[in-house]
Amino acid sequence: MKISDIIASANSNLFRNKTRTFLTILAVFIGSFTIILNSAINTGVNSYIDKQLEAAGGEGYLEIMTNEAVDIMSSMMSSSSEVKEYREASGNDQKSTYITDEQIEKARQIPGLESIDLIYSANPEYIKAKDSDKKFAVTNLNLMPRGNVNLDTTAGRKPDANTDKLEVALTEAYVNALGFSSDEDAIGKIVTFAVPNTVECYMVSKHSDCLKMVDAEVVGVQAPSIMAMGGMRANLALNQKIYDLATDGMPEEAKRHAFQATAQVDPEKIDEIKEKLKEVGLAAMTIDDEVGMIKVFFDAILVVFSIFGGIALLAASIGIINTLFMSVQERTREIGLMKAMGMSNGKIFFSFSCEAILLGFWGSVVGVVFSMIIGTIGDKIAHESFLKDFPTFELVKFDPINMLVIVLIIMFIAFLAGTLPARRAAKKDPIDALRYE
Amino acid sequence: MEKVIEAKNLKKVYGKKSAVFTALKGVDLDIYEGESVAIVGKSGSGKSTLMHLLALLDTPTSGTIKIDGEESTKLSKKELNKLRNSRFGFVFQQFFMNPKDTVLNNVVLPLKIAGISRKKRKQLAMDALKIVDLESKAKNKATDLSGGQKQRVCIARAIVNNPKIIFADEPTGNLDSATGDKITDLLFDLNKKQGVTLIVVTHDEDLAKLCQRIVRISDGKIIADNSVRKDTAKKASERREKEAARVKKANEKEAK
Repeated sequence: MKISDIIASANSNLFRNKTRTFLTILAVFIGSFTIILNSAINTGVNSYIDKQLEAAGGEGYLEIMTNEAVDIMSSMMSSSSEVKEYREASGNDQKSTYITDEQIEKARQIPGLESIDLIYSANPEYIKAKDSDKKFAVTNLNLMPRGNVNLDTTAGRKPDANTDKLEVALTEAYVNALGFSSDEDAIGKIVTFAVPNTVECYMVSKHSDCLKMVDAEVVGVQAPSIMAMGGMRANLALNQKIYDLATDGMPEEAKRHAFQATAQVDPEKIDEIKEKLKEVGLAAMTIDDEVGMIKVFFDAILVVFSIFGGIALLAASIGIINTLFMSVQERTREIGLMKAMGMSNGKIFFSFSCEAILLGFWGSVVGVVFSMIIGTIGDKIAHESFLKDFPTFELVKFDPINMLVIVLIIMFIAFLAGTLPARRAAKKDPIDALRYE
Repeated sequence: MEKVIEAKNLKKVYGKKSAVFTALKGVDLDIYEGESVAIVGKSGSGKSTLMHLLALLDTPTSGTIKIDGEESTKLSKKELNKLRNSRFGFVFQQFFMNPKDTVLNNVVLPLKIAGISRKKRKQLAMDALKIVDLESKAKNKATDLSGGQKQRVCIARAIVNNPKIIFADEPTGNLDSATGDKITDLLFDLNKKQGVTLIVVTHDEDLAKLCQRIVRISDGKIIADNSVRKDTAKKASERREKEAARVKKANEKEAK
């Protein structure tokens, strides 16, 4: 018997008893549907989280503060009622939370450290389109650091850290406010930031007299993010320029106040480098250190759901075993006849296994189709309601390879379930089988 | 005449120790090409066991069976399967059809097992259905047929692989005498015209008398092995022809 014939007969045998087959496929379907939809949500959410994490910093990207700053932060955040004894600081205590040039120099010597930049906070007062007088307050302008950090954009690209040109990425809200017709339209336009000079503003009577103007090119528009990393993004050059304008006239010592730095390092050596930075007095954190917990938590929920799916599949396997045992029983005489006609035990085994595999196949394929339909509808509903502001967040994402692997695994499980009845069929004695009433 | 089956000192014992039952107690039987042989006996006489052994569906406890001079014990499982598939045809009392499948698909089964291509096996099955005069029912469900038609489908299935030997186990046992006769005619036609060796297992003396040779079996032993008297055979063949004419007439009427 040819394999194609075996598969074809197995399929037609299955649909001889439609109700039973349908119910068994339904059982497989419930398991596969749960697992497939779960996997799709997992893929969708994780790829979004990954995208967001890349926006916060990818592999080998470090955020750096001094050890003292970390201590102060953690003591501020701890709810401990313990009263510590006062200990006199050496020199200016506040100064120790700033990263010094010496520390930066030492950090640069660490092998595997590719770049390190101090972050100065830049606080412009307002933004306007260059050829317009409508001004909008700037609450949040963040640095787009050098290194492995991506920006989830709806148009354009992330601001370039390695250029002298002043570049900025807007948020969608600012695109609308500044009067650009679309995200694409905003790209390449020039915007103007107004920066108050700290020294001059003490002296002038009219506040607008101490504002310095700086022009920047819009190079990108970033997608809304579920995490709190929104705000406009300035490249290093623009950030530096705004800081310079704000601190112009201040003593050099006072200018160099940065308590944060960012670094890009070789991801392979990350632990080693973190250790060495600590010796220099700098505490480095990867994004995973900071927000990795979210992912772990989310994964745990999906694992629980996958376990439910797995249990459903286990029950379905028992259904497959049951269905096939009934089928073997019913077709005892047919088995006897086929054996009398020269069908080998192996082929009998294979033809019943084939039925099991087909049950798995149909159950999982229907599962794929339904989860795609339900997933797509669910995604649509989500984007019309609670995910309205996050167009780049695909709640469910169907990865074809994932789907295929799941289908194959379910077919394999079905095959395993089918081996018991198939073995019984193969072992039947043709004469007993023919005599069977 | 060539010996197609040569059985020597066949013994078959079922069960173990205290519950031993000896179904065959040393049977020697040679069957020649083109013969029609009836194996006759009461139920429990061992006739079915003998047929199963001759058809290589079971293995004897001791003794040898040669098919076309080849000893069956020397054949591998695969060769045994192939031999049964290509050289034997089976007709059973209970038909053993797949009732929910079409007539054509039922007939095609041995060819499917042999691994013959779809197109060719359909052709061969239609040819076989033509012989049993059921080509018009090829697409019908097997369950919709009458008992006689079902047995004719089974004959078509038995001859579709162009076998050398047809084993028929009580082929008319489930049929009334008129339809039974038509089945008998078909089988003997095949035996006469195509030279197929026919081995019929039955307890029906009338059917047995139509065979050239009757092997009587009782209590696991052959007690008689003789040809039917010539005049009886002649009468039988006349009766068969008459019956065939009657059936043909009836069919023609039906067709109108």
